[in-house]
Amino acid sequence: MEINVELLIGTKVRDVNGKSVGRIEEIRVERDEKACLVDAYLIGASALMERLSAWTLVRPIGRFLHSRKLYSLYRVPWQDMDLSDPRHPRLRIAASDLRHAK
Amino acid sequence: MKKALQIALGIVTSVGGFLEIGSVTTAIQAGAAFGYQLLWALLLGTICLIFLVEMSGRFAAVSKHTIVDATRERFGFPFFFVVLVGMVLVAFMVLVAELGGIGLSLQILTGLGFPWWAIPVSFVVWLLMWKGTFSLIENGVSLLGLVTLSFVVAAVRLHPDWGGVAHGLVPTFPNDQKAKYGFLAVSILGASISPYLMYFYSSGAIEDEWDESYIAVNRAVATLGMSFGGLLSMGVLVTAALALKPNGIHGETFEQAALLMTTAFPKWGLFLFAAAMLVACLGAALEISLAIAYFFAQGFGWSWSQDLVPSKNARFCFTYTIIILVATVPLLLGVDPIKVTMMSMALTAATLPLAIFPFLFLMNDPIYLGEHRNGWVSNSIVAVIIVISFVLALISIPLEIVGG
Amino acid sequence: MDLVRDVLDKKLVDSEHCEMGRVDGLVMSLEEHSQPRITHIQIGGTTLWMRVHPVLGNLAAKLARKWGPRRAEPVRIPWSRVLTAGRDLKLHVKARETGAIDWEIWIARHIIERIPGGGHEEAE
Repeated sequence: MEINVELLIGTKVRDVNGKSVGRIEEIRVERDEKACLVDAYLIGASALMERLSAWTLVRPIGRFLHSRKLYSLYRVPWQDMDLSDPRHPRLRIAASDLRHAK
Repeated sequence: MKKALQIALGIVTSVGGFLEIGSVTTAIQAGAAFGYQLLWALLLGTICLIFLVEMSGRFAAVSKHTIVDATRERFGFPFFFVVLVGMVLVAFMVLVAELGGIGLSLQILTGLGFPWWAIPVSFVVWLLMWKGTFSLIENGVSLLGLVTLSFVVAAVRLHPDWGGVAHGLVPTFPNDQKAKYGFLAVSILGASISPYLMYFYSSGAIEDEWDESYIAVNRAVATLGMSFGGLLSMGVLVTAALALKPNGIHGETFEQAALLMTTAFPKWGLFLFAAAMLVACLGAALEISLAIAYFFAQGFGWSWSQDLVPSKNARFCFTYTIIILVATVPLLLGVDPIKVTMMSMALTAATLPLAIFPFLFLMNDPIYLGEHRNGWVSNSIVAVIIVISFVLALISIPLEIVGG
Repeated sequence: MDLVRDVLDKKLVDSEHCEMGRVDGLVMSLEEHSQPRITHIQIGGTTLWMRVHPVLGNLAAKLARKWGPRRAEPVRIPWSRVLTAGRDLKLHVKARETGAIDWEIWIARHIIERIPGGGHEEAE
């Protein structure tokens, strides 16, 4: 199955119990000579950003703020993300099991 | 020596950006109505521009990317698209005003109405971009731009009260006509702090192949270049205060504005005014057309360079060709360039946050700027400019309606 | 490497230092029980406008089918062609062969070259 990464960015993610967790803000990959493999998904956790997130003008700023470590992201290993419906990504774990990204 | 000549980029940016139909007409109206009282607005505009232009030059020299490149790369396409629409629409209006300004200047010189000049003027502007290299445009406009020094000469010849001038550099409140005062203050700032200046300057830095070694030069060029423009605008205001105000001339039409220099230069005044306006508007028209085309080309990743033969950067050249063609239409229809000018000043002020806000983030980005990113001084200045731009954005449209 | 920060929207440069647009999209291949991989870079108006709003994306696709200088699909470049990803992405391809600059070439040949002084896009 093929997914458009640029459309995946910004979609809301729910955990295994249906609870809303945040939006996919970044995708971390490992590169080797042959391929580019997805390592983890970074999900924006700040409630304020979440509420403002739908607005095109604010999300990129929020993403920038992450790089200044002003708002937190969760790191979801690729195994824990279910993308069978790319428009409604779901975690395979509960929100409480999420780890913060570095 | 080569670095010293880079001052030309500063001057051309300044002449085209700072001294053009918008700033001249607002400065004239300000001087004619309020004497020296609004000089502080020009000073504030100059200071803001020095910082903004220095930053855009530093950004380009260090990162080898333009602001537009970085806006797309950092904020993504949808955000970039919103900024593009806002910036291009307003810049386009200003372009129409500038082309009209060239036409009005020719109308004064020849007596032939400006709609008749619309097509020849647009053709010449287009031809200069089609055939000319960046250096030709940069140095040509800078040299020709020296004729605008006549504004300062005129002001000095009229023996201004220098104490009064100094007083005007400090903000004061008027006793009456408050809405008009506010409107002119906002218009002066909108006319001075035009985002297309930043985009043009940062692209120019890339065209001139600046690198990290140009950082000090950039600071000098931005300061001297923008100060040149600021000084000239102040010259216009002071001249208007001395020549037009006492005679009750408001300077709200181009014909009235043209009387600016006739007190100081009874024989040559009209000619000097028309010549100076012609050069200033020509510089501005070139700068804006290029800035709009740069915006599209850099945002979408097309090749772009004034030094390339057109077919090597086809989409870029096609863009500025279409822009100029479309800009000619309102002028052919006889739309008044002065009215377009006044509207575009207010709209520039209203859309300023869209340009400056992302800029603050970019100037702090370590990936692009490394150790050359903004220190707390520069960041504070940008923050102040953002506050000013939000205030302007809120009050410009209401003031345009009430005081315009 | 982070895709949004380091790859998406970055400029693409071919093996001859020719500018060939920007990374407008990325294709991820997802298979059951295996690690997702990035397989292609996508370039093109349709991809771009889809990011702003699906309505614009569908409109862009329709227009491209009618008027585009080439087939309607967006240009895809295999990830294996990426040499380096620094500030710009360098690719081991020739821009002309990918279709990424088809519009540039079309406008050059049909419009720009027909105007005196336009030059020739193939000349060295």
